[in-house]
Amino acid sequence: MKFELNSPSSAEAAIAVSGVSRHFGAKAALDDVSVFVPRGSVLGLVGENGAGKTTLIKHLLGSLRAQTGSVRVFGLDPVLDPVGALGRVGYLSERRDLPGWMRIGEFMRYTQAFYPKWDEQYAGQLLEQFQLNPAQKIKTLSQGEQAKTGLLTALAYRPDLLILDEPSSGLDPVVRRDILEAIIRVVAEEGRTVLFSSHLLDEVERVANHVVMLQRGRVLLDGSTEEVRRGHISAVLSFAAPPATAPVVAGAHAVAGSGSEWRVLFGGSHLELETAAASVGARVVEKRTPTLDEILVARAGGKGS
Amino acid sequence: MDLGRLAWRTPTGAMLWEIWGRHKCIFPSHGLALAASACLVCWKEHGAPENAVGFVYLISSGCFCGSFIPLLACLGYLEFDAGRVQLGFPGRLLLKPVSTTRLVLVPMVYGGAIIVAVLALWTQLVVRHLIAIPASNLLWIGTVLLSFFWWMQALAWSLPSLKGRVCIDLMMAATHFLLGALPMMPVNAPTRWRWPILIALLATVVPAAWVGLKMVRQGRWDGPSSIARSWSRLRSPLAWSPRRRFHSAFGAQFWLEWRRQGWRLPGISGGLALLVVPIALIATTKLGTLEPPPPGVILSILVLMPLLFSGVMGHALGKFDPLDTTRELPVYIAIRPMTDAGFVMAKLVMALAASVLTWLLTLAGACLCLVIMGTGTLFSRAGSATPYGPVGIAIGCVPLLLLLVMLTWKNMVAGIGAVLTGRQWIVTVFLCKSAVFYTGLLLLGEFAIIDQDLRGVLLHWLPGLLIVLLAAKIVFSIYAVAWGLSRNAITAWAVGWTIGGWFVCGLFVAGCGGLVCHAMNKPELWIWVALAGLLVLPLAELAIAPLALAWNRHR
Repeated sequence: MKFELNSPSSAEAAIAVSGVSRHFGAKAALDDVSVFVPRGSVLGLVGENGAGKTTLIKHLLGSLRAQTGSVRVFGLDPVLDPVGALGRVGYLSERRDLPGWMRIGEFMRYTQAFYPKWDEQYAGQLLEQFQLNPAQKIKTLSQGEQAKTGLLTALAYRPDLLILDEPSSGLDPVVRRDILEAIIRVVAEEGRTVLFSSHLLDEVERVANHVVMLQRGRVLLDGSTEEVRRGHISAVLSFAAPPATAPVVAGAHAVAGSGSEWRVLFGGSHLELETAAASVGARVVEKRTPTLDEILVARAGGKGS
Repeated sequence: MDLGRLAWRTPTGAMLWEIWGRHKCIFPSHGLALAASACLVCWKEHGAPENAVGFVYLISSGCFCGSFIPLLACLGYLEFDAGRVQLGFPGRLLLKPVSTTRLVLVPMVYGGAIIVAVLALWTQLVVRHLIAIPASNLLWIGTVLLSFFWWMQALAWSLPSLKGRVCIDLMMAATHFLLGALPMMPVNAPTRWRWPILIALLATVVPAAWVGLKMVRQGRWDGPSSIARSWSRLRSPLAWSPRRRFHSAFGAQFWLEWRRQGWRLPGISGGLALLVVPIALIATTKLGTLEPPPPGVILSILVLMPLLFSGVMGHALGKFDPLDTTRELPVYIAIRPMTDAGFVMAKLVMALAASVLTWLLTLAGACLCLVIMGTGTLFSRAGSATPYGPVGIAIGCVPLLLLLVMLTWKNMVAGIGAVLTGRQWIVTVFLCKSAVFYTGLLLLGEFAIIDQDLRGVLLHWLPGLLIVLLAAKIVFSIYAVAWGLSRNAITAWAVGWTIGGWFVCGLFVAGCGGLVCHAMNKPELWIWVALAGLLVLPLAELAIAPLALAWNRHR
């Protein structure tokens, strides 16, 4: 179910992460992670806290050096060629660590100097859209305004790759809508690549066309959003004789319920589900395509297969 | 159940535990400094040579200042809020269900008690053996120090985001300094008021801290002030003026460095030269109770100030935000498409600009002093005493000024590589190495003065030692540059500038040395002066700096 190209080359992919591992002491933050993101796609990076999302993003930015494996952004190593790689990347940090002592206008001028492609008109539009005052000091901004400022400076030079680390965390729905609108506009208008990590699976479902799910530093799922959803079935099984304990259904990632009716999240085809249900003496009474949220909860909370 | 830990399960206990836990490392190093000073004092009292007494004074006072100032900083109970760019009371405690009175009193009483106790220890073990100060004066200094510590705490807690707080802090520090020095001054008038003034300061500090912290807890300082809002509205069109766009990434980075750090050295040492020295001069002259100091003393102070401050401030140059305690490269800088060498060059150029401006201001301050003293006579006297004339003397000062600029710049960039790594342990190792090296050098010099034989041996080996050290420096630099080039941390133009700059400055030092040696009729010394100049000028530090930054940036 991988959406990677059959033999993805660094030149074809916006992001090519191959066999990257990273350990912090005894803890493996990333364990043999391989992710290939084709140009023009919107990738949602999902997973629990500590799954390795931010660590992976830091590798893409060259803030962390891969202990094993390789990282390429548009075919360039962001550690060895930060000018080439980072010049094409826009980044919104999860921590919103902007220079509090600068004014928004100063921060824009500072950022502009690094990017020859800075579009002043577009920056002005975003400034107006986000209702930011360029004379205001960043330290006096609310969290939402800081996110907007970070997003503005990440978007204004129209980067080929936009990386957003938890863009929605701590933001109100209005700001979230603004951010998502901006992302969608960038992608729709110019066909550039976006990678964003998020806890909000409904957001990922709405915006991303591909999803990578990490768990304890490993890639758990990697495919198009629709493929991932269609590869799972949320079903209700009815048992003629109610089982005393949760039934063990082959291929089910989560089983919950009581009495004669149990809800399972099944990974496989409809036929496989029917077969698995029959093998435990049950029949399928309800089926639907699960949400990404349900899949993440089931797979991250389960055995992690 | 561990009964011993129950005592900590109170808000006061938890706060005390936190203060202790955060700064317990400082106490062993402080104890070490105290023990070293006490040993030196013991040595002095039990027959140290006459020549070594100065050394004992120097090391002991260095140990005292070097360990007591960090202690004051640690016990201040201040935390840097990177988001708000302010230093104040730890924000997380403000939301705890603890009374403001307790929040104020616990750190103040705890910190004050430790400071007084440590000062008493220093006084008993070291100070009273070195300086003959009456017990009443020691009590006075201790109380002034306590008041100073509490007021610094109170101001930092109460006015965390006030823009001009540094001026209030400086005024309060100056007040305490003058108050502390009162008993030692030959001016009698304010002496009988000193205790009432000090008691008033002590009596008001806790209420001031309480009111200030209460206001902080109520969020009175949150958001921009009305003045800041008005100013922002006024600045708005300026901020968008196309004239103010940076022409290059280097220009933008230089601007950032200048805004964060560049103005500090010219602001403090140049500002002091322009303001404080003339004011002090006028005050002493007008009071009529003191003889005005000779111009030479004033000029020496003016020359020493930038060199001293640059040494102290240089340590922060490697940081991208001087107030940041993490030492990590901020994300908003790390993600910019710029080479590591580019970031380092922006710092070096900023340091150079700061040095030049500092000396221009200091020069202006010196001229101001001479004018105030009514002695435009210094140059004319020097001119008449030498065959070169006043203009010749003034022109001769230009190379001296350039040498001072170079020395200040060197002071500022020394240790840049260690700080750029972003690792505290490396900074600690570097500081220890520097302390050991300079103390060793000082000791060697001191013993060489005492011991004629040692002096002969040193002079015999000195040329060889200089050559070996210089060769080692060049080899290390070549290795660092090659490593940096292979990892794309440094670019060819940065290498060119670094080596070219070092060589040109070295030639300049050699030239100046040659002139001085010629004037002293000791031309044979020229080559050693030139070698020493090349050795002192930073090369290896600059070669390693981009690699150090790369290590921090790409962890």
